[in-house]
Amino acid sequence: MAAEEHSTGIAEHLQYWTYSFQQNLPVDERNPFMQIHIDTMLVTGFVACLILGFSAWLKGRIVEGAPTGAQNAVESIVGFVNDTVKDNFPVHNPLVAPLALTIFVFIFLCNFFDILPAYLLGHIAEGLGAPAFRPVPTNDLNLPVAMALVVFALVLYYEFKLKPIHFMKDLLLQPFASLLLDSKNPVVKFLGVLLIPLNLTLKLIEELAKPLSLSFRLFGNMFAGEVIFLLIASLLLVDNMHDLMSFGGIVSEIMGLLVGLAWSFFHMFIGLLQAFIFMILTVVYLSIAHQPVEH
Amino acid sequence: MSIDLTLVGQFIVFITMLLLMKKMLYVPLNDAMEARTQKIEAGLAAADAGLEAKAKADADAALQLDAAKSKAQEIVSAAERRAAEVKEEAVIKARLEAVAIVDAGKEELASEVSRAKQDLREEVAGIALQAAEKIVGVELDAKRHAALIHASISKGFDAA
Repeated sequence: MAAEEHSTGIAEHLQYWTYSFQQNLPVDERNPFMQIHIDTMLVTGFVACLILGFSAWLKGRIVEGAPTGAQNAVESIVGFVNDTVKDNFPVHNPLVAPLALTIFVFIFLCNFFDILPAYLLGHIAEGLGAPAFRPVPTNDLNLPVAMALVVFALVLYYEFKLKPIHFMKDLLLQPFASLLLDSKNPVVKFLGVLLIPLNLTLKLIEELAKPLSLSFRLFGNMFAGEVIFLLIASLLLVDNMHDLMSFGGIVSEIMGLLVGLAWSFFHMFIGLLQAFIFMILTVVYLSIAHQPVEH
Repeated sequence: MSIDLTLVGQFIVFITMLLLMKKMLYVPLNDAMEARTQKIEAGLAAADAGLEAKAKADADAALQLDAAKSKAQEIVSAAERRAAEVKEEAVIKARLEAVAIVDAGKEELASEVSRAKQDLREEVAGIALQAAEKIVGVELDAKRHAALIHASISKGFDAA
């Protein structure tokens, strides 16, 4: 019974604070796209304001001499991102390093919210009248997908801009048709033409897999992390004082605290790792788009 | 887990943040880092140039020192040669002067001897004349007898 209540509590906690733009329609008839997750928007807006406020504060204090304090710390991150981009990127593109920096810092700070106690922000928000609250915006698929689509759009833009003919040939003739079209046999050539839609489908799947894998990797890791946090937190939930003071209750509380602490540290590492993976894959995808055509 | 208008909102948030972060954080910070790197590189290049200039100056100084040493050696050798020449000249000059002094002394001695002989001759002649006057007791022709005595004495001195 208690386990069922806990699982219900976890499921409730995984609900978003949602606002529908079709309030006048019955719930069943509403378009699921026409709603917005207020909690995700609030937290990402807060993180963005935090980063931009810090940037504005730091901008007026930047010195060309030996850096100290905050400038020193941020320069370490910028230097790390610059080195990563230089190691992976064949040419200079003034947008790639800022993009990588933004992705890394934004995702890391969003993931950082996971270190807060699992139910804390949810309970505070409920106390303020919100129906639900998810504190980690990277758990919301909309954020990873938005970032991945920006990266995908940039990849397509550079593919078309830098090597349009090669990209179109790659899109239509790889992997099957190219060999067939090179043949002198007209029947084989015709077969090659017939295979163009199949090539296009495969290539589109290949290209779409990039943003999908990029976004679902981040979302999946952070979502699973949050669920595990909630499961660990549920170890600490007891029905009454008698249960809390029992031998099993005390062991459960201690275990819950220790496991929760260990998972917090591990999950912070996961958050950092996911930010790095998203950043490095972005650089790699854009690098592939910038690779010169091999003849 | 649903895709909805939050996606559009996240697009806006992300792109806005990308553009503003580039303008407000990345570009100024990167410029400062680049400027610092260039300054450090310039400093290192200047240090390298300084080291190179120092090495060159050291080499020049060593060359100049060697040249000065050889020149000094030449000067010392020349001075030694000149000193030897001066010494030789002085010795020769001293020898010549000594010879001249000796010659002058000899000449003076000869003239003194000649003068003394003359004086003595005259005195002996006078004495002889006076002695003869006493012996003979008459006044003789002084000039004529004096000439005779002088001739006799001179013969005697010449024989001596």
